[in-house]
Amino acid sequence: MKAIQILKNTLLVGICLLGSISCDDDLNEPLDNEALLEDVDYTRSENMFEILKGSYAELYHLQWETFPIISVRGDDVNAAGDQPPLHQTDEFLYNENAWMYNSAWQNLYGDLFVWKAAQEELLKYKEFASNPANADQYIAEINVMIGFELLQISRLWGDVLIPPTSNAEDLYNTPVSSQSEVLQYISDLMDESIPNLPNVHPNQRTDITGGITSNTARAVKAMVNLDNKNWQGVVDATDGIIGSNLYTLEPDYYNLFKIPGKLNDENILELQYSDFGNSSGENRSYLYASLGPNEWTPAVSGAQAGWGFWEPSIPYIEFMLDRDETIRLETSVLFTPDGIDELISNGNTDLPGFVTNVTRDGDQFDNSARLNFGSGKHYLPSVQLSPGQTIYGRNKNFIVIRYAEVLLMHAEAIVNGATSSTISADQAVNLVRARAGLDDLVGVTLDQVLDEKFAEFGMEWGIRYYDLVRHDLTQPLNYGGRTYDPASDKFLPYPLSQATILSQLQNN
Amino acid sequence: MTKILRLVGMLALLLYMPQVYAQTNTVSGQVVSIDNEPLPGVNVLLEGTSQGTVTDADGNYSVVASSDDVLIFSFIGFETQRAPVGAQSVINITLEEDITSLQEVVVIGYGTQSERNLTSAISTVKSEEIVKTPTSQAMQALQGKVAGVQIVSNGNPGGSPTVRVRGIGSFPGSDDGQPLYVVDGMFFDNLDFLNTADIESISVLKDASASAIYGVRAANGVVLIETKAGKYNQKTSITYNGYYGVQVPQNVLKMSNTEQFVNYINQYTEQSGNSADASFIDEAIQRYGRSRVNPNLPDVNTDWYAEVLKEAAPIQNHTIDISGGNENARYSVGASYFEQEGLLEEIRNSYERINFRTKVDVRANDWLTVGGNAIISNAKQFNAENGVWFQTYFAVPHLPVIDEENGASPIPLANARRLGYRGVQNPYFNLYYNDNRANIGKILGNFYADIQLLPEKLSFKTTYNYNYENVVNRNVDFEYNIESVPDTVVQNPNGITRVNSTSCNEIWDNVLTYEDNFNNHGITAQIGYSYRSEITEGARVRGTEISTLDPRLESTWFIPTGENIDADNSNDFGSRIFGSSYFARLSYNYSEKYLLYGTYRRDGSNKFQQKWGDFFTFGAGWIISEENFFDVGVIDFLKIRGSWGQLGNDGVVPAVGQPTLNQTSTAINDQLIGGLVVDNTFSTVDKWETVVETNIGLSVEALKSRLSLEADYYIRDTEDAVIPIILPSNRATVLRNAGDFRNQGLEVALNWNDRLGTNVRYSLGLNFATLKNEVLDLNGQSFIDGGTAEFRQRSSPGQSFNEFYGYEVEGVFQTTEDVNASGYDADFITNNNIVPGDFQFRDQNGDGVIDANDRVFLGSFLPDITYGFNLGVSYKALSLSMDFQGQAGNKILNRKRGEIIFTQDPNIDADLATNLWNGPGTSNKYPSAAGYRKPYNTNQISDFYVEDGDYFRIQNIRLSYNIVNQSLLGVSMPNTTISFTAERPLTVFDYNGFNPEVANGIDRQTYPIPAIYTIGLNVKL
Repeated sequence: MKAIQILKNTLLVGICLLGSISCDDDLNEPLDNEALLEDVDYTRSENMFEILKGSYAELYHLQWETFPIISVRGDDVNAAGDQPPLHQTDEFLYNENAWMYNSAWQNLYGDLFVWKAAQEELLKYKEFASNPANADQYIAEINVMIGFELLQISRLWGDVLIPPTSNAEDLYNTPVSSQSEVLQYISDLMDESIPNLPNVHPNQRTDITGGITSNTARAVKAMVNLDNKNWQGVVDATDGIIGSNLYTLEPDYYNLFKIPGKLNDENILELQYSDFGNSSGENRSYLYASLGPNEWTPAVSGAQAGWGFWEPSIPYIEFMLDRDETIRLETSVLFTPDGIDELISNGNTDLPGFVTNVTRDGDQFDNSARLNFGSGKHYLPSVQLSPGQTIYGRNKNFIVIRYAEVLLMHAEAIVNGATSSTISADQAVNLVRARAGLDDLVGVTLDQVLDEKFAEFGMEWGIRYYDLVRHDLTQPLNYGGRTYDPASDKFLPYPLSQATILSQLQNN
Repeated sequence: MTKILRLVGMLALLLYMPQVYAQTNTVSGQVVSIDNEPLPGVNVLLEGTSQGTVTDADGNYSVVASSDDVLIFSFIGFETQRAPVGAQSVINITLEEDITSLQEVVVIGYGTQSERNLTSAISTVKSEEIVKTPTSQAMQALQGKVAGVQIVSNGNPGGSPTVRVRGIGSFPGSDDGQPLYVVDGMFFDNLDFLNTADIESISVLKDASASAIYGVRAANGVVLIETKAGKYNQKTSITYNGYYGVQVPQNVLKMSNTEQFVNYINQYTEQSGNSADASFIDEAIQRYGRSRVNPNLPDVNTDWYAEVLKEAAPIQNHTIDISGGNENARYSVGASYFEQEGLLEEIRNSYERINFRTKVDVRANDWLTVGGNAIISNAKQFNAENGVWFQTYFAVPHLPVIDEENGASPIPLANARRLGYRGVQNPYFNLYYNDNRANIGKILGNFYADIQLLPEKLSFKTTYNYNYENVVNRNVDFEYNIESVPDTVVQNPNGITRVNSTSCNEIWDNVLTYEDNFNNHGITAQIGYSYRSEITEGARVRGTEISTLDPRLESTWFIPTGENIDADNSNDFGSRIFGSSYFARLSYNYSEKYLLYGTYRRDGSNKFQQKWGDFFTFGAGWIISEENFFDVGVIDFLKIRGSWGQLGNDGVVPAVGQPTLNQTSTAINDQLIGGLVVDNTFSTVDKWETVVETNIGLSVEALKSRLSLEADYYIRDTEDAVIPIILPSNRATVLRNAGDFRNQGLEVALNWNDRLGTNVRYSLGLNFATLKNEVLDLNGQSFIDGGTAEFRQRSSPGQSFNEFYGYEVEGVFQTTEDVNASGYDADFITNNNIVPGDFQFRDQNGDGVIDANDRVFLGSFLPDITYGFNLGVSYKALSLSMDFQGQAGNKILNRKRGEIIFTQDPNIDADLATNLWNGPGTSNKYPSAAGYRKPYNTNQISDFYVEDGDYFRIQNIRLSYNIVNQSLLGVSMPNTTISFTAERPLTVFDYNGFNPEVANGIDRQTYPIPAIYTIGLNVKL
């Protein structure tokens, strides 16, 4: 009987063991290495600045395909190389499943969501901040980023969705806004932001050197009102910029687009890149290779060529030759021997001296099966690469809005009937012409303003294309076998992947 | 405590007392097998009593018996024999092997069960089968052998195959879908540390009922692995088992040679009017001269696969095992070495592993058994850059490997950009300038104590399982230039990435088991508690431009203090997962005729917001052949069984369901400035996936157990499946517990085993499994897109998940009349410039336009059926076995051809190049050269890219000769087996790639699966 007693005891010990060894408390342990927003201490207002810098990181992170899709359709530039969606877009043969459309859409909207989320966070910090005005300024800076990219979205697709929050899923219930509504929304957003932004030149900002200022907001406001043909709205904005007297045109047009042009007095918004002076390793760069010619003999051997996707067009070059343009043509176009032959065979026999396949910095552009001309504004001379660097265009900033564009938008609005309190259309156009070494005009017309913009902004951000479609002057787009149909070709089709999940986006 | 223990001991002794009482005669003898091998450990009992003995290491026994007694000789795996004692004092016995398997004991989680009483679907593969396959990866040996288990091989040395038990339980991408591996009680995600020759058995718990005892870890199936142990009362045996062999690349894809490629380009130029590509060929002629055979061709014809692939690469494995035991202890101690070279030239790609192991069990006394098991595994793996396969496919044939004029350094490799191509193409840059090493150290330890509380009835077992893993990856990029540069310039500077990851996992199991038989009732009941902790910590650091790095001197391949650290690629990582589980099991039988089975597990984990889950299973079986009314002569055994069970899958990545703050950095005024980005595209995965499965099965043995049949039909539903949701307008996809889907299928395994006369034995086996995968619900959505925008896959209720989704090709337009008669809208034809040589896509909705609305489901990457069959014949000492396997009904996306969407200029495969449409009647399958590159033909995937993945393979042929009881020059030889094995000597398929085994169905770059030929030796002392 004693044995049974002991047996019972042993059994009890066993059961107790089972019970006592339970380690259920561990189930409340967190998983490691996740920074949760719920753990954020909103009284640490210095984090606001971190979030602002993160927003700039997003702005400067421009994916290579976004820019050419925005910019390819004008008569200033041709798609080159083996990228069918880019060629088809150039030829107005749109395909809703082209990978570049969906990619550009996601790149641009993805930025908007990140920025919306940053703003939502900043608002939470503002509550505790010792200087709530900082939060307001940062939110306003981000508004300008949102405004600029939403403008690009509307330029590509016309009627689009304005994201209400940082949550992408809220788009399911967001109605489509007409192009005009989108532009007005951006204009209002800029008006709301201007009072909160610094009134200095970007290169005079000490916290974010080269960052967004009140005049960046005004420039974006001018751009959206231009697209919305609200001419007075344009001039209200450009007057503010011109009247600030903070900006001047860079006399050295050639180097404006190169290393010396970084944070230039002419620049209102630029994407900043750097190799930080290193010969390799850490860098922030745009993939300029996509826009660079693929065959060259660089002055600094070892410097790498590009992919050859971006080619100035014959109409653009001949337009420039006809105008006797010098510095702007030299800066905008890189010539290959085949390209020069083509110009000669087209009857341009009297070519100026700078039309050669060797740049003033000694880089020689060779014949390429992909293109006959290269884009000079996206070219960085190999001698300007940091020692040891070999990647095409590395360390070069990407200029987005220049003072010259403000001046010519100003003129464009005035010739369409707006009135200005600063300078006249003639004055604005002649400032730009003077820098290019051209004579003054008197009594400028819309055509002259648009020609000036064509000459000044070739290969930049599709400015030419959006000018032509805005004024329904699309005849020049029909060149080299292209047929532009104003009824159907103005905007790209919504990317199929988006139209499938957002039922309000319907391609017809 | 000592007191208690002593008392328990005394109690146990008391219970054993009645066994000892006086006898009269002594009977002795030897028990041997039919091969005349002594059998140790055979039970020798007097019939009707529990008195008796066991045979010793030489098979000898001695027992006291009276002349009326009958001796019963029984041993697992052999037929029991009776021998009346009569007047004999010596009785020698030859036991015959029992070919029925039903007496066998099957390993189930936390215990064992007789196969006869199983109500669930468990397949067991034994050591003899496993060692047939020359591989480092144990699961590879199961390919084609277990119905319902799909194994997709991995050719990378040391790479683990993809294993799927009954289809896909989880969406790919949210979980790798690997089953849970339980090695002697410890949980593992893969088995790369196990030497196949050290495995005693692999049991696949296929249905939910069998695996429910593993609760939240079990949804992808559970594979139980027992390593080899010694045997009690067995004299020490020393066994060497090894093989040496070569791997030979198989089915290498034929790419276009220079002539074929130039023809293709000429056709392209003629059809499209674009001469860019033709100019690249001219450039090659300028650079490398004209072929003397055909002056229109460059004098270069590189077969890139031949350049990068070795003709043969060695593989070898050597294992020594020393095992044995006495009455109270058994042990097994061993060591093994495995080495496999990869198939790539130049770059180091190989796998080498050294293992040591020991397993000891000690019956300390009547009530206590303790034991320990340890495996130490050290492996070194060199991985080739995966990009090599991609580049090898695409490199143009008129590019040589070396081009002195190009001036690349340090090795003057050729560069296709010099010919005008967009990319460098030459795969040798990746072969020469990389070295990726992983040092993998793993330690597995299990220690247990088994306490008999009531002899043969109630026992308590506590087991501590431990697993330590340390993986150190070192990836070195050497500096090189792709063309001639001055000394001061380095185009591709060097860099080293080092990743150190340490995992320490523990499981502590405590199980109380009660077993009893009374009247006709048999009961086994268990309750248990299990605690689990899985902690991983690691760090990654990347240094660049390391001035001290010398490519020729491996000792310099480290990141010294003060060198550039790449901040974007340096971070630490880790996770801590805890689990706490309570479980219970009851199995009951009445007269070994009616079977009931049930388990319950309550699982807790800190991995998800939902902490606790309950998992039940019930099973029942009826052994009809035991019924009196059952009288079918040929059928010896017939059981029907059914079960239902719930499982969890916590393999999915948990997601906090909250925005996170991520570090970023950017350039501001030429300074690198840090910042924070709020990521609001968060996944919400707050619970595990749940699997509910019903299984109905049939077990039959007939014709004197020569024929056996196992058949199972199952319906397996995954609920709350974690699926990737494509967010509108955002590149990020997020994961949600938002899907339900179903796998169902039939599994049949049929085996025939017989003997012809005394010398010939043969066996035949056949197994197959069908699989139907179906999406049931997607949170109400009509579909969820997968894949990428260009290579769309779609899951939709009623379809298999992630089916390829695109246009159906009806043929190729032969003439302009065909184009005009196609029914396509005239504007559509003009706008897309459709000409002969372009595809005719089926206009599904008949609106005259081919657009997104004309897309249809093009098939799934999951096979409809997988099958295997085998035959074995042995004549005296000579044995031959052959295994075959295959699958059918799956599709492969030929993503290599699909790459034409992004990059148009590289090489294409020879089948395509030589069969392109080039005039009416030339092809109705392939487009013209110009059409192949034209967006109209490529802007959506079509069944042009989606190919049949069916294959049939001779998996394994093995011939062996066994030398036993022979002597050589008067010295007796050890038991020796010599074998020759051909693994995967032949694979037949139609797919235009060189490997039909593509786990996710998307063939972009896969390591080829080689054939392996080995010679093996097994010596037992």
